[in-house]
Amino acid sequence: MNKAAFYDLDGTLLSCNLVQMQGYYARNHRSILKSAYQFSKVVLSVPLFFGLDLYSRATFNRFSFRAYRGMHRDRLIGLADDLFEVTLKPAIFRQAEALINTTKDLGYRNVLVTGTLDFQVRPIALHFGIDEVICNRLEFRNHIATGRVLSPLLAELQKERSIREYAAEQNIDLAESCAFSDSSADLPMLSAVGHPVATNPTRRLRRVAVERHWPILELRENTSNFPPFLSVAKVH
Amino acid sequence: MKSRTTWRWNPVRGEYESGDPPSLRGTAEISAIDAFSNKTMLLLGGTGFVGKVLLAMVLDRFPELKHLIVQVRRKKNMSGEQRFYSEVLQSPPLRGIVDQIGETVMRNKVQVVEGDLDQPLCGIPAEQLEQLKGKVDIVVNLAGVVDFDPPVNESVEPNVYGTRHIIELVKLLDARLVHVSTAYVAGKKNGRISEETPIEGYFPRRGEKSENPGERFSVDEELNWYEQFVKETRESRATNPRPVRERLREGGMQRADFWGWTNTYTYTKSMGEQLISATPDLTYAIIRPAIVESSLRFPFPGWNEGFTTSAPLVLMGGEGVKGWPVRKDGPLEIIPVDLVAAGILIVTAAVLCGKNKRVYHLASADENPIMLPRLVAFLGMNSRYKHKHKKSGNRLANIWKAYVETQVISVQSLQSRRARLHRGLDVIHAALTLGKTLFGPTRMGRYLKSLRDTRRQIRAQEITLDKFLPFMFHNSFIFETRNIRQAAGMLTDDDLKRVQWDPETIDWADYWVNIHTKGIEKWIRPGFTGPKK
Repeated sequence: MNKAAFYDLDGTLLSCNLVQMQGYYARNHRSILKSAYQFSKVVLSVPLFFGLDLYSRATFNRFSFRAYRGMHRDRLIGLADDLFEVTLKPAIFRQAEALINTTKDLGYRNVLVTGTLDFQVRPIALHFGIDEVICNRLEFRNHIATGRVLSPLLAELQKERSIREYAAEQNIDLAESCAFSDSSADLPMLSAVGHPVATNPTRRLRRVAVERHWPILELRENTSNFPPFLSVAKVH
Repeated sequence: MKSRTTWRWNPVRGEYESGDPPSLRGTAEISAIDAFSNKTMLLLGGTGFVGKVLLAMVLDRFPELKHLIVQVRRKKNMSGEQRFYSEVLQSPPLRGIVDQIGETVMRNKVQVVEGDLDQPLCGIPAEQLEQLKGKVDIVVNLAGVVDFDPPVNESVEPNVYGTRHIIELVKLLDARLVHVSTAYVAGKKNGRISEETPIEGYFPRRGEKSENPGERFSVDEELNWYEQFVKETRESRATNPRPVRERLREGGMQRADFWGWTNTYTYTKSMGEQLISATPDLTYAIIRPAIVESSLRFPFPGWNEGFTTSAPLVLMGGEGVKGWPVRKDGPLEIIPVDLVAAGILIVTAAVLCGKNKRVYHLASADENPIMLPRLVAFLGMNSRYKHKHKKSGNRLANIWKAYVETQVISVQSLQSRRARLHRGLDVIHAALTLGKTLFGPTRMGRYLKSLRDTRRQIRAQEITLDKFLPFMFHNSFIFETRNIRQAAGMLTDDDLKRVQWDPETIDWADYWVNIHTKGIEKWIRPGFTGPKK
């Protein structure tokens, strides 16, 4: 049986959010006028995003991906490098890379499980050397984004379902696996594995973690305080 | 990056499709595994870009092969064997494979022979030839000079006379031949290029309006012309002030152009093919890859070391060149190197089983074309990425390079742009020279120097671009790849797990941005200080 380490992305390994990424693409249209128009649209819809996020993550995702409607896939992929360099790379938490390397050395198969879109995850996955990604993808017609997301939309409960499917397919023992996430929205995913770790947890997740005796990890700090199941194994 | 959903990208339709990829199925008419078991392969030109990947692939995928004999040319004070073990096996694509299969297994399986294509029988020593006689089943030839416009003798010697030596060798060894040429032997043509066009006597202008009645192409006559031309050029050294090399270069290009070829390289390569097809009782297959680019998957994504690939263009795009003269409706015929290696192995298997065709194109546009304007847009995005955060250099220039998008332009507008640019530089030069007389050379010297550098750089870029014009603007090819598809379709399912021909699955956007461009930055850029002189 294999074992895997499932990572959430936003807030867990780096701090960024979907709106930031959208703002980036809106700013970088081919024409300057269109950039200005699209960017102001994103800025104006920020309050709406906040409201939607409170209401439901899935609706929020669905709504926010509509901003990509009409964009050519080449451009989405071609600018992802720049997006990574500007917005994402500086936002990577200090200990993130060390953690990923540790789980890799210990024989875990690293898997990113994130609601972010495939082309945005790609440079991140390359940077961390993660081979496998479970993520969202946009629908395209003749290379142009329609603004819809392909089902299943990866959010909330779907993450747990996806890693169970993945585990079954890849012969992975979930009880031996670990998962890292920052948000209580990922509680189902964290509960599905043997070694859940609350990573830079939100207040709600912290409370749950303390209740259930889950290790809590802060990747923002300078020194590593990896949970015992990682460091103990390392000694052997 | 593997993604774990049931969706996969269909690059032709431009949509994600649901469901798993269709499992590869062959008709099992031939078996590559059986074809290679207990066979001996002689590989010529295994030290090049494609050669190394092929070497790695055959060692990795077909352990059944009994012996692999690799011909390596000696270099000054390094024997072929030393060169093979220290240079070739230590190169990035092979290192991992050698570690995997182990040095001893490697030494048992691989034999190195020294040799040189310029010599009869490829310069393989007589005693080694005796050993090899009757033992070699197949000769795979990847050797040749790939420079587009070298002095004509530097191209004819290896590509025509070299091929003749190879034919002699193959005949002597009583083996079969797989010869790697180039798809661009088609010359200045447009549209779909068939694999069935007769090889012997071919010249691109044949059958076109510009053909003179009664005109025919024969390699022997060409070689007579060539000997005569080289002799005359050398003899006139005293009377003609221009360097002989320069004149040989020009002569080759003019001759190629006369028959309708794009450059000396394709002209000499075509002659090599014609020699092979004219040889009686020779079992052969000619493989014609298009522009060979970074690897897609094997030995790792992004491996590249070729300079006659699109690397100079990608690097130029990164430097911030904005106007690209390309056809709006034309594809760029590129093919990843690992697909070429797989294609060669598939064809080799077909030849060993006696079920081969004569010519195999290895190209992508027939099934999954990548259009040139899309590539131009990628070059622009790469330049944006590189110059936006650049701290060094002129700030204004960086802003220009980052935020101005690349454009598809016509050759006319390219010419007028160039003329304008050079006029502008002339004016600056005049001003600086005036300044120099007024204020003295100490204050103006560095400006003049930087102007000189800029000019040299621009000139080099222009030369590179001109070299690629036949492939991007003047001609638009789609090479038909029916034969290789048919050959891959004959294999067994087990074979197809080891080698496959699947350019239709390449996601070009991801390939170009995340594999090819990154590969070039990693492997080519470090050895590339300023444009090639």
